[in-house]
Amino acid sequence: MTARSKENHTIFLLIVGLLAWLVPGAGHLLLKEGKRAFIIFVTIVFTFCAGLYIGSIGVINPVGAKPWYVAQIMNSPMVAILGHLATAADYSVFGRPSEIGQIYTSIAGLLNLLCIVNAVYLAHLQKTETAGD
Amino acid sequence: MSIMPALVMATFTTPEKINSNPQSILWLLPLVAAIAIVYKATKVPEIKTANFLKEAMILTGSIVVFMFIAALALCALAWLITE
Repeated sequence: MTARSKENHTIFLLIVGLLAWLVPGAGHLLLKEGKRAFIIFVTIVFTFCAGLYIGSIGVINPVGAKPWYVAQIMNSPMVAILGHLATAADYSVFGRPSEIGQIYTSIAGLLNLLCIVNAVYLAHLQKTETAGD
Repeated sequence: MSIMPALVMATFTTPEKINSNPQSILWLLPLVAAIAIVYKATKVPEIKTANFLKEAMILTGSIVVFMFIAALALCALAWLITE
């Protein structure tokens, strides 16, 4: 692999990773893995929305629940907007709905992290296979 | 604001009422299913609907059974310590 193609390869991997973070499943869609992308998108968005439905957007708390927020932001950078809204409007939530909502939204984020890593790995494999042909 | 968007907004700005009773543990089931589906979506080499559903259901079942066994073991341990 020449230096130029190596550089292009790294940029491609970065684009795949960024897309997969922006929209769950978009990284796989870029790699023409349509079915996988659809399943990932639907499941992660459903899990995240279920968490918001149970606990309200108050579960996204960048100030009082930072460790949870780190996992939640893995869903998409758009979570930061929700976090800003929730902090500004003071949507407080306590007790069981808060726990379950935080667990759902954070697990959705960690699942998306798994998908980001998987998309980047698949992109790397596809590129090295085409380079080997 | 028309009534429909207001209702949707209200759904996501008001928490649900969930009591701290044993039934609230059932909230883990959709989460376990989501974990199994996404995990299998990243693992299976080719996605065929029937095969994929079967694999995801087996993994969901395995997680639930393992959690049940872990809960039983912890209960037994707690009983042994407190008796």
